[in-house]
Amino acid sequence: MKRKLISLLCLALIALAGAFGQTKKVELKFAWWGSQVRHEATIKVIELYQKLHPNVSISYEFAGFDDYWMKMTTMAAGGQLPDIMQQDYSRITEWQSRNLLEPLDPFVQNKTINLSDVAKPILDSGTINGKLYAISAGSNSYAMMLDVDAFKKAGIPLPSQDWTWDEFEKIALQLHEKLGIYGIGGGFEVDELAWKANYLSDGQFLYSADGKSLAYKDDALLVNFLKMLQRLIKAGAAPTYQEYMSSFGGATGNVQMDAIVTGKSAIEAVWSNQVVTVATAAGPGRNFAVVHIPRHKKTGLPGNFLKPSMFLSITSQSKNKEEAAKFIDFWTNSVEANLILNAERGVPISAKVREALKQTVSPINKVVFEYMDRVAKDAAPTPPPEPARHAEIRANVYVPLIREQVFYGVLTPEEAAKQLRIQATEILKRP
Amino acid sequence: MKKRATTSASAGRQRLDNLAGYLFISPWLFGFLALTVIPIIASIFLSFTNYDILSPPRWVGLQNFKKMFFEDPRYWKSVRATLYYALTAVPLRLIVALSVAMLLNTSRRGVALYRALFYVPSVVGDSVAVAVMWRQIFGGDGLVNAFLRLFGLPGKRLWLADPQFAIWTLILLAAWQFGSAMLIFLAGLKQIPYELYESADIDGAGPVRKFFSITIPQLTPIIFFNLVMQTINGLIVFTPALIITNGGPLDTTNFYALYLYKRGFENFQMGYASAMAWILMLVTALLTLVIFKTSSRWVFYESEVK
Amino acid sequence: MKAQSTAHRVSRTLLFHVFTAACGLLMVYPILWLAGSSLKGPSEIWRKVYSLFPEHPTLENYINGWKGFGGVSFTVYYRNSLVYTVLATAFTIVSSAVVAFGFARIRFKGKNFLFACMLVTMMIPPQILIIPQYIVFSKLGWVNTYLPLIVPRLFGQAFFIFMFVQFMRGIPLELDEAAQIDGCSRGRIFWSVHLPLMKPALFTGSIFSFYWTWNDFFAPLIYLNNPKRYTLSVALRSFSDPSGLTDWGAIFAMSFLSLIPVIVLFIAFQRFLVQGIATTGLKG
Repeated sequence: MKRKLISLLCLALIALAGAFGQTKKVELKFAWWGSQVRHEATIKVIELYQKLHPNVSISYEFAGFDDYWMKMTTMAAGGQLPDIMQQDYSRITEWQSRNLLEPLDPFVQNKTINLSDVAKPILDSGTINGKLYAISAGSNSYAMMLDVDAFKKAGIPLPSQDWTWDEFEKIALQLHEKLGIYGIGGGFEVDELAWKANYLSDGQFLYSADGKSLAYKDDALLVNFLKMLQRLIKAGAAPTYQEYMSSFGGATGNVQMDAIVTGKSAIEAVWSNQVVTVATAAGPGRNFAVVHIPRHKKTGLPGNFLKPSMFLSITSQSKNKEEAAKFIDFWTNSVEANLILNAERGVPISAKVREALKQTVSPINKVVFEYMDRVAKDAAPTPPPEPARHAEIRANVYVPLIREQVFYGVLTPEEAAKQLRIQATEILKRP
Repeated sequence: MKKRATTSASAGRQRLDNLAGYLFISPWLFGFLALTVIPIIASIFLSFTNYDILSPPRWVGLQNFKKMFFEDPRYWKSVRATLYYALTAVPLRLIVALSVAMLLNTSRRGVALYRALFYVPSVVGDSVAVAVMWRQIFGGDGLVNAFLRLFGLPGKRLWLADPQFAIWTLILLAAWQFGSAMLIFLAGLKQIPYELYESADIDGAGPVRKFFSITIPQLTPIIFFNLVMQTINGLIVFTPALIITNGGPLDTTNFYALYLYKRGFENFQMGYASAMAWILMLVTALLTLVIFKTSSRWVFYESEVK
Repeated sequence: MKAQSTAHRVSRTLLFHVFTAACGLLMVYPILWLAGSSLKGPSEIWRKVYSLFPEHPTLENYINGWKGFGGVSFTVYYRNSLVYTVLATAFTIVSSAVVAFGFARIRFKGKNFLFACMLVTMMIPPQILIIPQYIVFSKLGWVNTYLPLIVPRLFGQAFFIFMFVQFMRGIPLELDEAAQIDGCSRGRIFWSVHLPLMKPALFTGSIFSFYWTWNDFFAPLIYLNNPKRYTLSVALRSFSDPSGLTDWGAIFAMSFLSLIPVIVLFIAFQRFLVQGIATTGLKG
């Protein structure tokens, strides 16, 4: 009897301690997509945060890009979203428009998230209808990556940062003539380059501010661009679409298998946070430079802008928004955390952190940091996040029309551009 | 008098049979009612809404069906691609599977090893590695082109990027992964009573006659099963296209289930995707029904429980 | 005369082996390539994609891959997958066989309708049921456990039920009748007449269920939220991200390792597959 009583007491004590402990411990959930390198680094940052904040316990999950979105979509339907969610520039409006994301302005105002070292254009990219919904996890920009050795071998000087599309075409042709390789590798017709960058460098956005219509007025820029690409392909200075799509890189979108990696092309359009990946895949002993996306006029703007590579956002289903905000603050401002992350998600958005990292990064990462410094001063204006229907337009209109039918020779650039306008307008207009 | 006794006895037996029958199928029935019926009904309902997953569904009547049939050319492309695939890949896989099963249904030495060799490709399933492997084989400098060049043929085609041939790379994948159908055939072959062959031997029947008068008839329940299953799977084919071609080029491999998935999960049009799913299900059910109806003419059952 | 027929037989056997081995090699070429690539270093893997044999074989990919993510190694993923797959397969096969017996051998009211219902469940594209099912399981509080993956297996799977029904229909009815006259209950008939005769089908089914469960990533991806619970199939897919640095060598290495249990199981069960009715004593 006595023993029973004691054991009962012990049990009660344990339960009490458990309950006590539980009330104190904050549980957060963080989800992201990525590959092994990113998983490793992110988990280390989480462990660091838990060490500094023993009252917080962060559980996490990760997946590849497609799997991640499939999973998050399902979880949203079941009301099981994590507190902190990695977001994508092209999808954020979709999520915000369904009230799944929490506005972060209150946390910025009460200084839970300190953004004093972050430039305004970077924040604009996560602002929808005047409210901040997401904070860039690292800055990014589209870029032309150059194989310095190939240029040397061909006896062609590296292009300047303010090169134009005309110069680009000439250089790509020359590279092909001299070296027999592609001037520019594949993937050039992607919407970022042919569509967005092309209009951006003319000071035009794709979509109107309300996201209900196309903003660019003329199709000529797109048509001319596609025609230039067709000329390059015809000359052999760029792979045919078939060649590109049947290559590993083209089919999987995997940059580390792009033509520039194997030395089959001298120029490749990549995201700045992919430069390190490409260079790593190319192996030691290779030299690369990074320049702006070309402009239409020497005095005009380049086609690239300061883009968040991805965002961190707090979901409206979160029960611990304040604590989630604290973690985002840590992510943004902690030098220690960013040393671990090593700019793999793009260049840190805090100027202070950026300066601190510059001292330690590898030579190729330094090229990227310097490029991003130039982009900060010289870039097209950052367009607002794409309208919610951009994903649909891209998948059901842009890719089939421009990426496929034009380059399979089914449609002329003129017809395709016209069709693109008609079909995109229809989708945007839909209530 | 006697007659009434038998009817009441048989009625009693029928009651007992009902009980026993439901007892045996109760696991499935329970799972069906508890876990499957609700999602199915939900998806029927959703096909009449504009459900976008992230916000509550809104009733739109037949709008999804109207859009699908009359306003979406990509829909019909996906129908065509799927039918083409099902009509080629299914027979091909079945023929290969049956031939290999026959080939391996001997007691020669080394058969165990061969069986493993032929089965292994099916084991790799639809993993990321398969995608890369397949791209490698059908790439510009891949195995297929190398093989063609060996015979002096122009081996330069980019199979996966060619709108005419891309679908055939997937059909060949299906033929290559015939292992599961083969194993079922093998198990079926093993079930054929040996005495039938013995008595045929006594009658002096040759191998061809034995094949057509014993093997094939005895195997018909299994052929039937494989035909039904492969047809169903051929019509809802999804993963190979997702991982290898992602529907391209020019939508030539944009199979029905893949297109439905993209609409649902990439464009958040789950209402539209549900509508697509239900049309597919109806068509599949109809086709299966046709196979079932004809089966009484060609499927031979050792036992018939009516 | 006799010598000639022996020669004939030898040449036929030889032909059989040459032909089958050639086809077999063609069949496994991609897997050999996978094995070869898993031994290539990072500088070789995409530069000499087409060669089967690594120039400088290295186990680096296996070591890097096995480490997994953030301290959770492939040992964990392997164990998760094994436990999940073995349990799910056992449940599926046992329950499907029981249900199949009901459909194949007993006459009961509503049988045809229910059988049709079961077939129809296989015709619905599974992608469409993901969300409604997820909502059901999340209402039950089963998310982030193995329950949504394993519990449904207790109720049999349509494919296997249908398959077993077809095999049972190939078993002569006289056997049942004889057993019934001997006073066997239905349970007894199922257990001691049908199950032994169905051995090849049961083992075939087990192999299928095993490797389908082993390879399946959709359900584990959706329902398991903690990396410590990830299965092998989910972990394998977490390596790759098109926009980032993907360790393809590690993917190849781990993919190759993930094939091994399935192949081992196949070889282990092979023995039972070849046991036909002839050897299980139908004659008596």
